[in-house]
Amino acid sequence: MDSSKKTINVKVNGEPYEVSIKPKMTLLQLLRNELGLTGTKQACMDNSCGACTVIVNKMAVKACSVLAMQVNGKEVTTVEGLASKDGKLSILQEAFLEHSAFQCGFCSPGKLMSSTAMLEELENPTEEDIRRDMEGNLCRCTGYVQYLEAIKEVVRQRKEGSK
Amino acid sequence: MNERSVVGKPLPRVDGKAKLTGRAKFTTDVVLPGMLHAKLLRSPLPHAKIRSIDTSKAEKLPGVMAVITGKDTWGIRYGFVDTPNYPAEERPIAEDKVRFIGETVAAVAAIDPDTAEDALDLIEVDYDPLPPIFDPEEAMKDGAPQIHGEITRNTSCAWEDWGVARKSHSYTPVNNVAARVLVTYGDVEKGFAEADYIREDRSRSPGTSHMAMEPHTMVASWDPFEQKLDVWMNHMAWELKRYWLHKTLDIPLPKIRIHKTYIGGAFGGKAPCFDYEVICAFLSRKLCKPIKIELTREEVFSSCRNSHRFDISIKTGVKKDGTIVAQHCNVIVDAGAYKCSAPVAMFLSHGMCDCCLDRKNVRHEGVAVYTNKNFNFARRGHGAPQMRLAADGQYDQICEDLGLDPVEFLTKNLRKKGDVIPNGDRLDSYGLPEAIKKSAEAIKWKEKRGKQRDKNRGVGIGINGMFSGSGYWPFACTAIIRLNHDGTITLIEGDCEFGQGPDTTYSQIAAEALGLTIEDVTLVSSDSELCPMNYSNFLSGGMFVGGGAVYNAAIDLREKLLKVASEVMRAKPEDIELKDKKAFLKSNPKRAYTFTEIQRYHIQKHLGDPLFGIGYKKAVPEIEFYPSLSKGTGRFTDAYGFTASTAEVEVDRETGRIRVLKIVVAEDSGYEINTAVCRGQLVSQAVQGMSDALFEEIMDDEGRVLNPNLVDYEIPRAFDVPEIEIIDCSDFEPKGPWGAKEIGECARAAVISAVVNAVYDATGVRVMRIPVTPERMFNALKAQEKK
Repeated sequence: MDSSKKTINVKVNGEPYEVSIKPKMTLLQLLRNELGLTGTKQACMDNSCGACTVIVNKMAVKACSVLAMQVNGKEVTTVEGLASKDGKLSILQEAFLEHSAFQCGFCSPGKLMSSTAMLEELENPTEEDIRRDMEGNLCRCTGYVQYLEAIKEVVRQRKEGSK
Repeated sequence: MNERSVVGKPLPRVDGKAKLTGRAKFTTDVVLPGMLHAKLLRSPLPHAKIRSIDTSKAEKLPGVMAVITGKDTWGIRYGFVDTPNYPAEERPIAEDKVRFIGETVAAVAAIDPDTAEDALDLIEVDYDPLPPIFDPEEAMKDGAPQIHGEITRNTSCAWEDWGVARKSHSYTPVNNVAARVLVTYGDVEKGFAEADYIREDRSRSPGTSHMAMEPHTMVASWDPFEQKLDVWMNHMAWELKRYWLHKTLDIPLPKIRIHKTYIGGAFGGKAPCFDYEVICAFLSRKLCKPIKIELTREEVFSSCRNSHRFDISIKTGVKKDGTIVAQHCNVIVDAGAYKCSAPVAMFLSHGMCDCCLDRKNVRHEGVAVYTNKNFNFARRGHGAPQMRLAADGQYDQICEDLGLDPVEFLTKNLRKKGDVIPNGDRLDSYGLPEAIKKSAEAIKWKEKRGKQRDKNRGVGIGINGMFSGSGYWPFACTAIIRLNHDGTITLIEGDCEFGQGPDTTYSQIAAEALGLTIEDVTLVSSDSELCPMNYSNFLSGGMFVGGGAVYNAAIDLREKLLKVASEVMRAKPEDIELKDKKAFLKSNPKRAYTFTEIQRYHIQKHLGDPLFGIGYKKAVPEIEFYPSLSKGTGRFTDAYGFTASTAEVEVDRETGRIRVLKIVVAEDSGYEINTAVCRGQLVSQAVQGMSDALFEEIMDDEGRVLNPNLVDYEIPRAFDVPEIEIIDCSDFEPKGPWGAKEIGECARAAVISAVVNAVYDATGVRVMRIPVTPERMFNALKAQEKK
């Protein structure tokens, strides 16, 4: 074994992994290159676009700016972990589909993860909350409007459901 | 087929589940066994001779598999425009000279990206710097450094197999002029002589980045036994890319397969041939290994195509009542180091705009100029946004000068539905008048225009027209529909999905014609080996040409089904309806046969199973070869899309900051096949147009891009997006599938003009250089105060 490598234990989408990695490897590289989870996208590599957003222990983070070593012992959720294994979309994914809240789809995984974390954290987010959450996720196709509508719809449904 | 059940609806996109679960395969996600990675060494100088390149140290680095330079690819030429008058001059790797910072001078293939990157540092290039030239107007002056010597046609990618003449000549650009265009009609001098009022203005639109989210990437895999190249790549039409790979590397066309991947955004920026594509395929063939080249975001900004900077002088003569009588446009296009699409851009700045207003006597002169900067290509509108800013900004000012209302001014100068415009195109559908009216109403034009300056608020209007595909040879598509044994269909067509939605809308078009649901359609698309001819996805031809071919294929299959059904049912075809995978009598729906039964009958009686639908569509059937770019004569397109946009802004006079309060986009895109997809296209353009007006510019200093990343090159984020109202002003387009036409590119230009004109209305200060950044606005306001 390469002595410069370190071993980490991480749970990704509910499944435990033990991987031996170079210490400088980013979480994004771990997911895409080592674990083959290519749903998480790389678009800027400087923490500015949000395409690589994943959830680490309930917090949305940009995987290009987190070292893989930092997720040792933690739980990571990627876009591949949102739908159920037998093919049922999450409520948010369903809303994205219904509202055409994506076009080319390259930034969608990052947006889904960031909004999923926001919806977990905030019971009843306002439009401003939603926009603030979106600020970190660049999108060139949609102009954000249908995306915003999809999330508002999820919030509305959740409110009705809790009544 | 009376009541429509599949088209005209906001159905969920068929690519949705793949894209929203991370399963959608983009080129960046492609990994092949034994795959190597290549990196490119870029020129640090804007203009220099290459004396020598020493690659020996790089070659010795463990893990490096190959290093190539211009010596390996010497003589290979390609270009977006490659015609007898304009032979191509782009090359995959610089040979004896570099012409811009970022030009490729060598490439390394290695076992991983880091090793390839390390090897780049070990390559020693001995440059002999030459004086560079960056400004197009300076570059045209006598004595300026000459960027190109004689351009000869040694290898070429001219479309000779498709009708472009083989005869060609070498030429030497004079004063760095890459190409010229002159379009005239009417009598311009007489027109100006009749004018009551004449204005001359200048404007500048900067180079901008398409900024597609997926950075340019390609994977190539050469099979030495089959002598075949498999490719996964970022593109907007695989036919073009395959043709360029075939010509540059001399690989037979059927021996190149471009596989379907989803494309992470394009906006024009992924259509032309790129250096890294030729290099990727070259290295794969050299090493008989799969090669991946994934560009960094900085490389996308500084070495891939951006949009053209345009400097436009425009002179317009009008009557007192605002009737335009003459216009003279002078367009200078900053081509950059290679011409790429510059000859097309300056022509299109006329071609796309001539459909909107009747200007009576027109002279449109264009010149594309080489400079020592990264070179450029179409971005969403290709020349129209730059031209519309110049024209609509000037019309706004003419109205101010003469005390006219801009909405009335535009309305007075409109063309008419059914008009044949000077190049021969007929406006069979023309929703612009209604779009102008409704966009003005939606922004409360009458209440607000010129009445809110005390609040530093204002409203403005802009318009645009856009081709639905054009005669750029060979702009044609074929589609095939197979009737499956269970009565569903498999649609086989070549269009690629880069966000604009053809996988969904084409499925809807076919399903509607056959009485099926969208779930009944299995799609095979965007694969060069499986799909028939497809050239449609630029100049906004997707729906009209690609979708048109699908429509024709579906109608073909429908007619065949009806013919067989009429035999089975002993009824006239016109008395039979198709629905739910069945044919039934309109008068007695219980008398029905399933598609499966009809097909079985057809096999029994007709010796086989030819229940296939085949459809073709060409953008402009009258164009046999290709239109003249230099004279702008001949037909441009069969159908134009139209937009009128209005905007309301608020200007902070202390900081120069502009806040957009509302954007209205009123669009005539013909019948909307998928209303949610259409809305997405228009909202997208509203936000991009606003961004062009206020944010976006590639900044450079001595040829070096200063903002090659997503922090310094600002695009709108969620908080920047204002209220956006989309108004459907569609006019039925008789030649389009179900009446549909262009939607993807028109609106952006109209929004830019609307925002810039609204800034004037708010302040009384006209800034005709975009983006109107806070700094530019602040300085303009200060200059106004001094007066």
